[in-house]
Amino acid sequence: MKKLKVNGNLIVLTIALVIEIAAFSLLNHNFLTTVNMVNILIAASLVGLVAIGHTYLIIEGQNDLSPGSLVAFLGVLSSLLVSNGMNFGVTVLITMAAGVIVGLCNAFMVNRLKLEAFIATLVTQSVMRGFAYIICDGKSVGIMNQTFIWVGKARLLGLPFSVWLMIIAFIIGGVILAKTRFGRSVYAIGGNSQAARLAGMNPQRIVTISFVVMGLLCSIGGIVYVARMQSGQPSANVNLEFDAITAVILGGVSFAGGVGNMGGTVIGVLLIQTFNTGLNMVGIPNANFWQYVGKGGLLLIALTADYIRKVNTEKRLLAESKKAR
Amino acid sequence: MANSLEFRHITKYFPGVKALDDVSFVATGGEVLAFLGENGAGKSTLLKTLNGDYQPDEGQYLIDGAEAHFKNPHEAIEAGISVIYQERQILPELSVAENIYLGRMPTKYGFIDTRRVNQMAQRIIDDFELPISPTDRVHELSIAYQQMVEIMKSYSRENLKVICFDEPTASLSDAEIECLFRIINKLKAEGKIIIYVSHRMSEIKQIADKVAIFKDGCYVTTLDAKTATEPEMIRLMVGRDLGDIYSSLDRNKQIGDVLLEVKDLQSDEVDGVSFRLHRGEVLGFSGLVGAGRTEVMRAIIGADRMTAGEVYLEGKPIHCKAPADAQRLGIVLVPEDRKTQGILSNLSVLGNINISLLRENSNALGFVNARKEAEAADRGIQDFNIRTPSPDKKIVELSGGNQQKCIVARWMETRPKVLILDEPTKGIDVGAKSEFYHMICEFAKQGLGVILISSELPEVIGLSDRIIVMRNRKVSGEVMREEATEAKLLSLGMMEEVAK
Repeated sequence: MKKLKVNGNLIVLTIALVIEIAAFSLLNHNFLTTVNMVNILIAASLVGLVAIGHTYLIIEGQNDLSPGSLVAFLGVLSSLLVSNGMNFGVTVLITMAAGVIVGLCNAFMVNRLKLEAFIATLVTQSVMRGFAYIICDGKSVGIMNQTFIWVGKARLLGLPFSVWLMIIAFIIGGVILAKTRFGRSVYAIGGNSQAARLAGMNPQRIVTISFVVMGLLCSIGGIVYVARMQSGQPSANVNLEFDAITAVILGGVSFAGGVGNMGGTVIGVLLIQTFNTGLNMVGIPNANFWQYVGKGGLLLIALTADYIRKVNTEKRLLAESKKAR
Repeated sequence: MANSLEFRHITKYFPGVKALDDVSFVATGGEVLAFLGENGAGKSTLLKTLNGDYQPDEGQYLIDGAEAHFKNPHEAIEAGISVIYQERQILPELSVAENIYLGRMPTKYGFIDTRRVNQMAQRIIDDFELPISPTDRVHELSIAYQQMVEIMKSYSRENLKVICFDEPTASLSDAEIECLFRIINKLKAEGKIIIYVSHRMSEIKQIADKVAIFKDGCYVTTLDAKTATEPEMIRLMVGRDLGDIYSSLDRNKQIGDVLLEVKDLQSDEVDGVSFRLHRGEVLGFSGLVGAGRTEVMRAIIGADRMTAGEVYLEGKPIHCKAPADAQRLGIVLVPEDRKTQGILSNLSVLGNINISLLRENSNALGFVNARKEAEAADRGIQDFNIRTPSPDKKIVELSGGNQQKCIVARWMETRPKVLILDEPTKGIDVGAKSEFYHMICEFAKQGLGVILISSELPEVIGLSDRIIVMRNRKVSGEVMREEATEAKLLSLGMMEEVAK
């Protein structure tokens, strides 16, 4: 009945990604290889998981600055638990429970203490980074548990566990956002929380669920990251949330809330990670440092594009109302 | 030669509306020209395009015959055009003198010459004959004097030509209004062009020389304020005799048993309100803005916390902790402020209509059935005559009246028992208004209990079977339709203010 909606923004982003890959391929002939593409996906997997949570939160008009330190904390926690002889399955459950609790704390600060999400999660960011160091005395914790190590190494159809997790999470997250009651509520409260409440919604519950989902995504991300590195490091994943937020904004989610979709986030994540990896491969001196500059530039481009889109929409609206009369 | 300000073919568009439509007329110095029109008639928008806050899409301004164009309010002020808004635009922590000469204070050796500033300010204060000192902190002054400081700020510019007042008396007492009028007359005697926007007829008669009438963004005509009669002005403002609209309504005659009963309801904003609403009844709520009408409704549906009292729906006690509870019980509210509380501006017409139906439209897993949504949207668009090219159109692209219809459609799709309408026709055009009136009567006929909060007296009298008047957070009276007159509702709504 209804044709598949072709999203203009998504097309632009896809074209940008293709150009980016083409450019790096020209600069380094080893760039466009299966091995390298898989490596990009592996490197993207953690940012991808966190970006799913951010897609929900930013559309709701919220935010979360805690994932970087939360992932580090949960990673260290899980490696400590298995090092002390705990069964891997139970470890996963406890780590997830810890992620949920931190998510609930974020939601409590936002809903009950009425703190801005930006500030509330800044608190969590600092506190969780502190705990990440405290529980392991500041030393990284190696893992010996064979199941845990297997999770980091296992591959299906050439793709490791972490990439499959990201793909599955993107699909589930995307379907929920686009097709379900919960997804509609996310857009509604992002558009106008007060109006959504008067229309019979419970904005606080939706925000709470979203922070809890973010906590879960961080725990999964933390475990898989540790499995890949074979150790839990308290200093890991600094700035993870900024990469994820940049990807989400790049993908067309409006920082003002109410607008965006998961497809955009997928491409946003790929754009960022391709850029990071590509920059390392084209042999620029200090490439690691230039990444920061480059990511800032990407974010600036994304926000400028967002602004131009908004201005154009307003212009179109005005033009239409002129025609209407 | 007298100053003159000509508006020539001023046109301004906003998304979904033509806010100003080819407005042309001339204002002359030494006269007070009042702008009169309903809410949304374009008076404030016209002032904002004059002082550079908005840019007109078409047309131009001529000051003393020369074309003038301002990119922002600052340029307009520099050119001698000032607008005094309801919201004060002064810095409360600074002194009177500092506010008056903000940004152009005289200096001595690079430091501000405080003594001279105060002397200069004192001269203006003397001109205005006000009992304040240049060194007073502005936040310590009454609202009226704060407003005077703003006027003095404009006055202190030597090239002041045009001074516009946007509803200046809204928060002033009678004595303060006297003082304001004295100053306006002084400015008038000096040959300034004075534009005065107000809703209050009596005031306009008192202060204005001429009245420019606006309707739906168009300039209608200019009358002589002293000879024009009130009915004449209202007729021109509204464009037709509203009496006709009300008498042509097909009202519900069969009022049923008690549907909703509220006993001694209290909240942070309401002190002990009780009333009954019957099936098929339109119950009006009248009173001044801020009397607590909206707050009563918000407490009933659980948008605000109810601190004491009882609410019964069909005889059963209910207690709503959130609007979601009220919706499940069948009590719904179309809020007063459509933009901030009604529409979800990022969603389409379809999304807006269906937002309260998510439960009905989705399966056990939470998946939303797109076909059901499309059907509900089509039904709403048809039943309520929503003018939109497609259900997928963003709601903000519709006119105010059509946005409001979407909100009503949203709620009617949930099949409510009690429909609360808070100022449903605010800021919508006359045509859509009459559609709303017919809808309200239709709802009553279907057996709904309708609560209509309205500040427009003819509207509340014309539609309601019974009217409850609120004053100062309490019910101050109840009037049956047959006995309702504007004077009676006004006196019930304002008694204390009058007595003061």
